[in-house]
Amino acid sequence: MAVIQLQDVEKVYRGKVHALRGVSIEVMDGEIFGLLGPNGAGKSTLVKILMTVIHASKVSGTMLGNPIGNRKTLENVGYLPEHHRFPYYLTGKQVLHHYGALCKVGRKERNSRSSSLLTRLGLAGWENKKVETYSKGMLQRLGIAQALMNNPTLLILDEPTDGVDPVGRREIRDLLAELREEGRAVFLNSHLLSELEMVCDRVAIMVKGRVTMQGTIQSLTVDSQRYEIKIAGEMPAWAKEHCSEVHGNMLVCKGNDPSIVQPILDRLRSENITIVSVNPVRENLEDLFMRAVDNTDSPGAIQ
Amino acid sequence: MQFKALLIDAYRQLSAAKLFWVTVGISALVVVAYGSIGFNAEGVTIGFGAYQIESNQLREGSPWARGLYIGIFSSILVNIWLAWIATVLALISTCSIFPEFVHSGSIELTISKPIGRLKLFFSKYLVSLLFVIMQVAIFCVGIFFCVGLRIGEWNPIIFAAIPIVATFFSYLFAICVLVGIVTRSGITALLITGVFWMLLWTIQTSEAVLNRFVIQQIVDIERFDEGIITATEELEKIKTVSSEDFRISKLEKRIESFQDDSEEASELLAELDMWHTPTSWVLTLSPKTAQTIGLLDRWLSDPDGFDIAAIMNGDMSEFEGEELEEFDPTTRGARERETMRRMRVDYENRPLFYVIGTSLLFEGFILGLASWYFCRKDF
Ligand SMILES: Nc1ncnc2c1ncn2[C@@H]1O[C@H](COP(=O)(O)OP(=O)(O)O)[C@@H](O)[C@H]1O
Ligand SMILES: [Mg+2]
Repeated sequence: MAVIQLQDVEKVYRGKVHALRGVSIEVMDGEIFGLLGPNGAGKSTLVKILMTVIHASKVSGTMLGNPIGNRKTLENVGYLPEHHRFPYYLTGKQVLHHYGALCKVGRKERNSRSSSLLTRLGLAGWENKKVETYSKGMLQRLGIAQALMNNPTLLILDEPTDGVDPVGRREIRDLLAELREEGRAVFLNSHLLSELEMVCDRVAIMVKGRVTMQGTIQSLTVDSQRYEIKIAGEMPAWAKEHCSEVHGNMLVCKGNDPSIVQPILDRLRSENITIVSVNPVRENLEDLFMRAVDNTDSPGAIQ
Repeated sequence: MQFKALLIDAYRQLSAAKLFWVTVGISALVVVAYGSIGFNAEGVTIGFGAYQIESNQLREGSPWARGLYIGIFSSILVNIWLAWIATVLALISTCSIFPEFVHSGSIELTISKPIGRLKLFFSKYLVSLLFVIMQVAIFCVGIFFCVGLRIGEWNPIIFAAIPIVATFFSYLFAICVLVGIVTRSGITALLITGVFWMLLWTIQTSEAVLNRFVIQQIVDIERFDEGIITATEELEKIKTVSSEDFRISKLEKRIESFQDDSEEASELLAELDMWHTPTSWVLTLSPKTAQTIGLLDRWLSDPDGFDIAAIMNGDMSEFEGEELEEFDPTTRGARERETMRRMRVDYENRPLFYVIGTSLLFEGFILGLASWYFCRKDF
């Protein structure tokens, strides 16, 4: 079942910024979905439409089975906004209570949930300190705790690893995996690739307000699977006909079936050509991302 | 539960600012100072009996003592402390509530919760006002006890100051909220509210000054017309006796000059009306801060007692114990006094709907704009 299903979302900001140009995505139950794209691609805009923070110019679709913009649905959605700011005069615990209460979570549950979440996110001992004394990484973790206060079935995180150190990022990644185990769907936005690659079940790549690719990392990279055979010495003339590409002293055979390279290897060996290496190659998310960005002639603002 | 969360949040925000507690502290001092004034058989005591001012009129049990004590509250404490200094302090401490609320990064957190924007906006507005109301309420309880203990009058009308001051404050706060959510800056909101307040003051003062001149012309015209009537009567009387009396030409001249004066005054009146009418229309449409605060004076004043407001306006007649003269058209002082009296009557007879109703309509309009902006905005 899809927890988020969007068709043809458009957003034109006042001032004529066309931030979303017909976005359609689908997030399934119990998966971690990554929306990737360079800065300014429109990722936050899309998430804010889901959370009713901004009004779409055009939207159709559902979230948790209800139309987009339904307030009641939000009771079961956790949200961590990008660059969030908590009131400076609150302590960590008060933050959780405040936003929990706004989410209609009862006092008893707020009490038990806030202490367990603070422990879970490594903030134990800080609950009674003012948030103005928190570091960036701690604020980010508190933000995730805040998003979990209503025990959501869907968690929407906008740049959750923003400003978090590598150790913290790893912890967040593990937490996301745990949340998935608990049966929650996670939708996250990021312009940072390396960590997400490891945790996302499916990704969509957004560039300039359009989703250019969507699917599992496996399915998106399948086309790019190939074998690269490096040889020493002259490239034989027949190589061009039997391989997909030839670059200098490298032969490239597209496909993921090892049987396709066997006849080529046999022929190379029979002609006494030295084979330096045979590598199965597959694009990683970063290559995929770069390709998506390049295809749309974006300035490629990746950080 | 959501309203309570916003209430608690507003309390935490305000109490995190020192100014809130400073205001509470000064408020308490004002109440203590008020309570330190007392009356005994010899006169007035100040500073819990530290100073004694002897007086025949202002002593325990006299109606003037009541007038003075209540008057200090309704004219000085309300007009100067509540409606001016405490209001400025309250505006300073509340001006940043809405800008903080809609600050990018924090508004997303709140607005993405299952609560409608309109409800959120008005809840936030109400809780902010509630703390101002609470401050006034505590102040009034203090005053109530002072009045009860000092002059033995347990007057619940004192608590009317709570809604009156809250209503007055809300006119200004609505502007502060509108500017605050549009500009997202507390300082800008505060400054523009200050300018708006001055503008209201200017409108109200202009109307009052023009109104005073209009009434003065009316009083003058009445006086001239009355003069014409008496002179004409006298003339008729003399004419029946003799048609060649030397007073006839004198009286005719007087009538002529009265007519000239009356015409002149009528022309001036027409000209003043040209200014007064649009000004009073503008006033009708705008919040009437001074008249709203003035309601308390209206409700608390004792018609037989002593009127501190009149004294503050320079009218010492009551204090001197002098009977008000009958309307005598010939003296300038009497005309002046009559003008003042009619002005007071004019303002005191303006209906509650005019004073508060139209002001609330204006406030509603401003809040409507602010909430519309808040609901439509892409944060
Ligand atoms: N409130 C706004 N008003 C006008 N333009 C905006 C607003 N918010 C974002 N934009 C524009 O919309 C585009 C997408 O922004 P955003 O959704 O924040 O991208 P991302 O989250 O992918 O970095 C950008 O060009 C940005 O400048
Ligand atoms: Mg973003």
